Amino acid sequence: MPERMLQFVHLPQQMPEKRDVLRRRTDFDEIYRRFEPDEAARQASRCSQCGVPFCLIHCPLHNNIPDWLKLAAEGRLEDAYEISSATNNFPEICGRICPQDRLCEGHCVLETGHGAVTIGAVERFITDTAFERGWVKPIRPHRELGLSVGIVGAGPAGLAAAEELRRHGYAVDVYDRYDRVGGLLIYGIPNFKLEKEVVLRRWRLLEESGVRFHLNTTLGKDISLRALRQRHAAVLIATGVYKPRELGGPGVGLGGIVPALDYLVASNRKGLGDSVPAFENGLLNAAGKQVVVIGGGDTAMDCVRTAVRQGAASVKCLYRRDRANMPGSMREVKNAEEEGVEFVWLAAPEAFFGETSVHAVRAVRMRLGMPDASGRQSVHPEEGGHFVVPADLVIKALGFDPEPLPMLWNEPQLEVTRHGMLKINHRTFMTSLPGVFAAGDIVRGASLVVWAIRDGRDAAAQIHSYIQQNAQLAEAAD
Amino acid sequence: MREESALEFVSSWQRNTQALAETYDPAQEHDACGVGMIVALDGKPRRDVVQAGIDALKAVWHRGAVDADGKTGDGAGIHIEIPQDFFAEVVERGGDKLRSGPIGVGMVFLPKTDLSAQERCRQIVETEILAFGYAIYGWRQVPINVDCIGEKANATRPEIEQIMIWNARGTDEATFERDLYVIRRRIEKQALVAGIPELYLCSLSARSIIYKGMFLAEHLTEFYPDLLDPRFVSRFAIYHQRYSTNTFPTWRLAQPFRMLAHNGEINTLTGNINWMKSHETRLSSPLLDPYLEDIKPVVQTGGSDTAILDNVFELLVRAGRDAPMAKALMIPASIGQDATMPKAHRDMFLYCNAVMEPWDGPAAIVATDGRWVIAGLDRNGLRPMRYTITRQQMLIVGSETGMVKLDEQDIVEKGRVGPGQTIGVDLAKPQFYRDSELKDLLASRYDYGNWIKRVQVIDHIVKTDAQEPVRYEGEALRRRQAALGITLEDLELILHPMVEDANEPVGSMGDDTPVAVLSERYRGLHHYFRQAFSQVTNPPIDSLRETRVMSLKTRLGNLGNILDEDASQCDLLQLESPVLSTAEFDAMRAYMGSSACVVDCTFPVEEGEGGLRAALLRIQREAEEGVRAGCTHVILTDEEMSAERVAIPMILATGAVHTHLVRQSLRTFTSLNVRSAECLDVHYFAVLIGVGATTVNAYLTQEAIADRHRRGLFGQITLKEAVQRYKKAVDKGLLKIMSKMGIAVISSYRGGYNFEVIGLSRALVAEFFPGMPSRISGIGLSGIAKKVLALHRDAWQQDVIRLPVGGFYKLRRHGGEAHGFDAQLIHLLQTAVATDSYSMYRRYADAVRRGPPISLRDLLDFRTEGRKPISIDEVESITEIRKRLVAPGISLGALSPEAHETLSIAMNRIGARSDSGEGGEDPARYQPRPNGDNASSAIKQIASGRFGVTAEYLNNCREIEIKIAQGAKPGEGGQLPGIKVSELIARLRYAQPGITLISPPPHHDIYSIEDLAQLIYDLKQINPTATVCVKLVARSGIGTIAAGVAKAKADVILISGHSGGTGASPQSSIKYAGLPWEMGLSEAHQVLMLNRLRHRVRLRTDGGIKTGRDVVIAAMLGAEEFGIGTASLIAMGCIMVRQCHSNTCPVGVCTQDEKLRAKFTGTPEKVINLFSFIAEDVRSILASLGVRSLAEVIGRTDLLHQVSRGSEMLDDLDLNPLLVQADPGPYARYCTIEGRNEVPETLDAQMIADAAAFFERGEKMQLQYSIRNTHRAIGTKVSSKIVRRFGMKGLEPGQLTVRLRGSAGQSLGAFAVQGLKLEVIGDANDYVGKGLSGATIVVRLPPSSHLRSQENTIIGNTVLYGATSGYLFAAGQAGERFAVRNSGAIAVVEGCGCNGCEYMTGGTVVILGPVGDNFGAGFTGGMAFVYDPENLFEKRVNPATLLWQRIASPYWERVLRELIEQHVAETNSRYAAMLLHDFPLVLPHFWQVVPKEFVRYLPQPLTAPELQAELA
Repeated sequence: MPERMLQFVHLPQQMPEKRDVLRRRTDFDEIYRRFEPDEAARQASRCSQCGVPFCLIHCPLHNNIPDWLKLAAEGRLEDAYEISSATNNFPEICGRICPQDRLCEGHCVLETGHGAVTIGAVERFITDTAFERGWVKPIRPHRELGLSVGIVGAGPAGLAAAEELRRHGYAVDVYDRYDRVGGLLIYGIPNFKLEKEVVLRRWRLLEESGVRFHLNTTLGKDISLRALRQRHAAVLIATGVYKPRELGGPGVGLGGIVPALDYLVASNRKGLGDSVPAFENGLLNAAGKQVVVIGGGDTAMDCVRTAVRQGAASVKCLYRRDRANMPGSMREVKNAEEEGVEFVWLAAPEAFFGETSVHAVRAVRMRLGMPDASGRQSVHPEEGGHFVVPADLVIKALGFDPEPLPMLWNEPQLEVTRHGMLKINHRTFMTSLPGVFAAGDIVRGASLVVWAIRDGRDAAAQIHSYIQQNAQLAEAAD
Repeated sequence: MREESALEFVSSWQRNTQALAETYDPAQEHDACGVGMIVALDGKPRRDVVQAGIDALKAVWHRGAVDADGKTGDGAGIHIEIPQDFFAEVVERGGDKLRSGPIGVGMVFLPKTDLSAQERCRQIVETEILAFGYAIYGWRQVPINVDCIGEKANATRPEIEQIMIWNARGTDEATFERDLYVIRRRIEKQALVAGIPELYLCSLSARSIIYKGMFLAEHLTEFYPDLLDPRFVSRFAIYHQRYSTNTFPTWRLAQPFRMLAHNGEINTLTGNINWMKSHETRLSSPLLDPYLEDIKPVVQTGGSDTAILDNVFELLVRAGRDAPMAKALMIPASIGQDATMPKAHRDMFLYCNAVMEPWDGPAAIVATDGRWVIAGLDRNGLRPMRYTITRQQMLIVGSETGMVKLDEQDIVEKGRVGPGQTIGVDLAKPQFYRDSELKDLLASRYDYGNWIKRVQVIDHIVKTDAQEPVRYEGEALRRRQAALGITLEDLELILHPMVEDANEPVGSMGDDTPVAVLSERYRGLHHYFRQAFSQVTNPPIDSLRETRVMSLKTRLGNLGNILDEDASQCDLLQLESPVLSTAEFDAMRAYMGSSACVVDCTFPVEEGEGGLRAALLRIQREAEEGVRAGCTHVILTDEEMSAERVAIPMILATGAVHTHLVRQSLRTFTSLNVRSAECLDVHYFAVLIGVGATTVNAYLTQEAIADRHRRGLFGQITLKEAVQRYKKAVDKGLLKIMSKMGIAVISSYRGGYNFEVIGLSRALVAEFFPGMPSRISGIGLSGIAKKVLALHRDAWQQDVIRLPVGGFYKLRRHGGEAHGFDAQLIHLLQTAVATDSYSMYRRYADAVRRGPPISLRDLLDFRTEGRKPISIDEVESITEIRKRLVAPGISLGALSPEAHETLSIAMNRIGARSDSGEGGEDPARYQPRPNGDNASSAIKQIASGRFGVTAEYLNNCREIEIKIAQGAKPGEGGQLPGIKVSELIARLRYAQPGITLISPPPHHDIYSIEDLAQLIYDLKQINPTATVCVKLVARSGIGTIAAGVAKAKADVILISGHSGGTGASPQSSIKYAGLPWEMGLSEAHQVLMLNRLRHRVRLRTDGGIKTGRDVVIAAMLGAEEFGIGTASLIAMGCIMVRQCHSNTCPVGVCTQDEKLRAKFTGTPEKVINLFSFIAEDVRSILASLGVRSLAEVIGRTDLLHQVSRGSEMLDDLDLNPLLVQADPGPYARYCTIEGRNEVPETLDAQMIADAAAFFERGEKMQLQYSIRNTHRAIGTKVSSKIVRRFGMKGLEPGQLTVRLRGSAGQSLGAFAVQGLKLEVIGDANDYVGKGLSGATIVVRLPPSSHLRSQENTIIGNTVLYGATSGYLFAAGQAGERFAVRNSGAIAVVEGCGCNGCEYMTGGTVVILGPVGDNFGAGFTGGMAFVYDPENLFEKRVNPATLLWQRIASPYWERVLRELIEQHVAETNSRYAAMLLHDFPLVLPHFWQVVPKEFVRYLPQPLTAPELQAELA
């Protein structure tokens, strides 16, 4: 057989073409072009088809990457889609926004020396093609079970669980306080990484599959958890974490210092055509401003790149560790730098200057200490290493904490960890309340979309077996 | 140390065999030997015939084995005619009156010590003789001399007596003889009834008598002085020297047997025995009918393969066939092999094939029926058989030439018996028949041509034009697949390549998944069957290059009475292959009409677990009723499976029906045709056929092919073609599976249970697959039912059905199988060795321990209760322990040079050893590097390809390892495709870059255990200090093989597990052949102790050893040295990409691609860290057990216990057979030999002494000696001395010339080097010029000889095997496999046998006479010239790789002419001189033969340019 795979020996890595940086700075369209079918097949054919596929092992979903790469290389896209979608509810989303350089591609055996297989881009290509060709079909359960499950939160964890449960034949009701489905997918992640149409078509598909969405519905206000528990055979909490971590220091209360999520939501809403007063009045619009983003995670990356596109005069990112120690994706840093963002490594803000509104940030130089037990290097301020950065918009992207759900929902029985995350049995995904499950960021803390999908799927499987067991017990009792 | 007395040994043997009942099966014993016969061609009884037989036996002692006492042999004996006047005198002296007619004599072994049993035996013998109406003269105590036999032999010696019988009934001689046969059978049965199995009749005949026993062959007449009596005259003498794989002297197993003596093995034995049981029901012969119940069972228990062969041979003869016909029926020639076979012969053999299944071996037999004496070989011709006819009308046949000393002037003919050939003498006439004359005689007896027309060849019927039907699509197909556990991996990785390439797919890096019984997942029943394979005691076959001997021809229907001799035996249907496509099966079904009955093999899901057993009973009943109602064909099918009905694993259904029909004596009345949905890979087909299926249709797999075809995945080909390609892949795979255990014909494989079961419950095996070994028990019917039902439920109840992705071959997380090396372990280990962190190693080792059970040892743990831990400081050092660790053989060719050298350097630094693997080593590595590093592998491997094996290579090591088999593909050869043969590899292997190199499945100088002894002997000559290791793969019966190997003077035996890594191997071999080392090691250890051989040989094991724990367990199971392969690769950077076969290793470990090699990051330090960590791990375990050294725990299975019985679904999982202990007597449980087991000196010792001036001062010398066939490996030790003193090329050719007169023993000039010239005046045996490394060998006739050189055989088989340079001139014919794997020697001979120039990769060979069949198979480099005046060459050549043409260039003409001139100059061959004289006339009859790939390397074009124009 002519060997179709293992072409890395001859064929160099080729990412899908990035749009010209001058053009992409001016709009919110996705920066990567799609693979041409031939190129997708060629790049997929570089896969080494490992006996121990590290890509698969380091994928939270354990996607069968080598299998669909092989099928894609052979042009068997429908088969590839089938395999890809069997382990992942939203492969086209993961293909776009997963930090592949830290997951599958980062562990590809070709990464050192040959250039990893462009797994994410191929994944995206496969599923986009599947949508175009009509292979992605709404769920039509074999039989309706006559039972329902309530899901709180229409983000990736909730949606993945909804899809899985619907497949089994449950009626699924999803409750979300926002007006659109998708959670951070729709409002958190900027368009240039994930075009909103991609999320919207998933929404449509779920509705066509019979999932009922109850939007603009805030738990604890519009409806109580108790009511949901009565209404459904089981409830899944997948609300995510939304409470921004705060900065300290003098002047932190000044105007022009905004939480990252507020900033990103406003930008995304504008993109979706909504009217957003705080944007229109300039508060959350970076146009013409000297912008400083504080933080080194993916949210910070989203903010700086959004600011560039809004026409900021300058965009700086302050992070207290160095490039090697930042939590965000290297690839995103590179993209941001290309787009004109200036990274100020080893810098921590100390104070904010301004009258009512901020006009500068004083920062201190940091140095790295020895790695601790977790391997992460500690940081210490340099003596006398102060400097001032002018800024008239400061965006705080320091991460998120959970909201106090037991209090907000008036459910003191709902146990949380000392970090405020929901406490679950990690095997069953059940919280301290019987029949109430939890998954996603609200359990594990702010994390990746792909982990949310994984949790949603696992929780759904546990919910299914919980309900089936209950049904069997009920039957036995009869 | 105190020696054990013989009596202690015998009683201990009995206790031990009882303790080892689950481990040691005497039926696994093997024996082999030297064999031959002497015949008076004048038909007159002569004393010189007997004397020559006695003499010949004295000249084959080296083919037998001797116990440590130097006296107990494995058995020898002689079969001669009864000297009537001798016995007449005995009768008369006893006071009896001599009556008319010949005296019948029985040679009887009686129990020795139990006198009452002895008396009872005499009673039985007398009763049965008298009951038949014959009378008794009396008993005679045979005079014996026990002084010459060993203590052990004496301790087991029977009382030996003769009974003399008078033909009181006055029957004719033939009837008397036949009646004596029946009487003997009755006596044997009565002895069993009386519980005296010791009673044994060597012979009971009025014609001939057998004297045999457990003495050395040379002591025959000393032990039996009778034989010295000049009245012992005979027309024939059949003699035999035995070499057995155990040390327990069993007198009755000495040969000859009643009719035949045999050298070799019967590979098809289990199948033959099973079919004989089935044939028994229909046996009928007018001569024997009244006594058939006395005769049955024909095959007697407790016999060796030869004894069983003899049983059936005797039956055929007693039923009226003569010896030549019995041989033709049982051991027929291959029809496919001989393109020049006359039609009459072909018809006769077709008839033979229709009557019974061939008994194929490597077999050389000599036999007599009283009137005929014959000598013959089986189709493969793997045993030597030479013959000589003298002027004194004597025919001398034997395993070697020169066994009887003759004057050359008296010799009128010297020949050999070729594959499938038989020679014979009709003593009554008297007349000698050469092979073709004998076949003419047999073929003319009946009109076989007409008879065989009744065989209905239905291939043309089943090869319909009908389209392949498609019955299931989409969901219907998927649900059925899912219900049988089919995965995407099966379809993509296995099925797809089978269709696309018509070949089985290849994989690498061994098998690290759990043995089926330990798996959490569903594993099809075929996963529990491990393919049998042959090693050492018998050779595998090359099913690719030697296809002509192989056959899948399948006969269906009613098998008749094998004792008949008429046309009705040919009333059969016949197919080319048992593998049928669906359309073919449908056509066959239609043709069968009402002669077939269909049995549904499914059961209702609502019956649950119990449904399976109920259904099996129903299936058995329905099949039986069908056959009783007259159906000659039974069809078993699971097509009825549905949401409501569960498919029964068809292996189970087939086994159930086959066994049931055999038990009901109905099996031969019907064919058993199986339609199976689960059947997909080659192994499944093999298991189905192996448990009794006649034909197989994998209908659901075909639907999968159709589905993929529909989706356009096979390009433009038609569905029919796709299906045919799949079928072809399966056919090839079946041939490969059969050939790996040396079986050539599928009818002998079918129903042969040529498997070993791991993990099926003993009860289930006993019920459905009786006779198959299943040592550790496992899953039973209820467990299987549970698993099948669960799978069925998932498949039919889920809403959307997707096939699981798999994970059996490559690791997958979703529903995949566990793998021994996963990502975490690789990461931890690599981090540990890179950072020199033992704590990181600890995390690795703990993670290994916590993982799911993969190997049997994962169910074991150390028994710590009662042990007092000691401080680790008291335990032997890391340095000491590391010396026991070995980096096992991985060839340069698989590994990159960087990785290969890193391993050697690391192992040398720590005083441990690395193994070069096959393929040579760069001589530059023999010198230490400037920094002191030594990159020379301490162990040099010698494998079947003999690549790069030179005298120099063999002298640069501390140990030589003979790789008999490899864990990933035991019984198979290998092929390094041309694209992978780089400049370096080509140089080391003495080949050209880009030319395909083939390793044959067997070593062509090891077809049998005594051959291995010979190779070990040769190697100990060429390197007088190195130890020799023999690498085997675990299988059941390995204990007896190991014992045989130890007796062959090996110093180390390596037992490899099935999981062993590999560069490339067929997936089904990686997955389904070989056993875990735990089983093989413990068996070898125990059986070696049983045989008192353990303390004389070291045991080493390898295969997936990962941690110190593995090492200590291996030690407790009996090993003292440990190979660590995969883990050491991982330490060097391997990340289990498992693409070694693709040359694309991304980390540069396993590739020859320069760009990729640059990525290699391994260092000696990393490797050393690994080995040090493992040693430290071992120390801490030893400390916890309170033990100070590894040696103290060797064989201490009492320190282990089973801690898990596996899944709840299993009936039982019992590792006790691994943990029992044999009592080693006064000896140690480990090797106590310092240095090596020395072998006797040969002529070279004298030569070295005589050549002092040569060795001291390099003076040119000439030596001269008389030799015999017992002088083996002449010139080899001298060559070792030359290489060490002068180097490979330090001397002028012929600086030391040795002239030898007589018959040279085996391995003349093995590995002999430049500077040495051996001139033999006489002839030579097998393996002349083995591994020739530069010397010149000349073999020629003495001037006094009257022979015509070109018509006579002068050198034996397998000449120039693996030769790398040098010259051979032999004035006569060579035997089979001349110049096999020659890669550089230049040779001229005057004709050769079959398979000439096989696998040759270099050198030039001139053959001045006819060549045998299959010339040049796998010949990829070098050149041959063949003189072919009779135009037979083109029928005999294997054309696959070759070009041939008439000589068309003055350059090549000159090359040829000069070689012939040299030949004439060296040998004085009159024949060759005549050819030279007529050169212009003979030149047009020469062929020039060159491999296609090699043409581009020729220094001159084949056709000269000026002639090219002319030809155009």
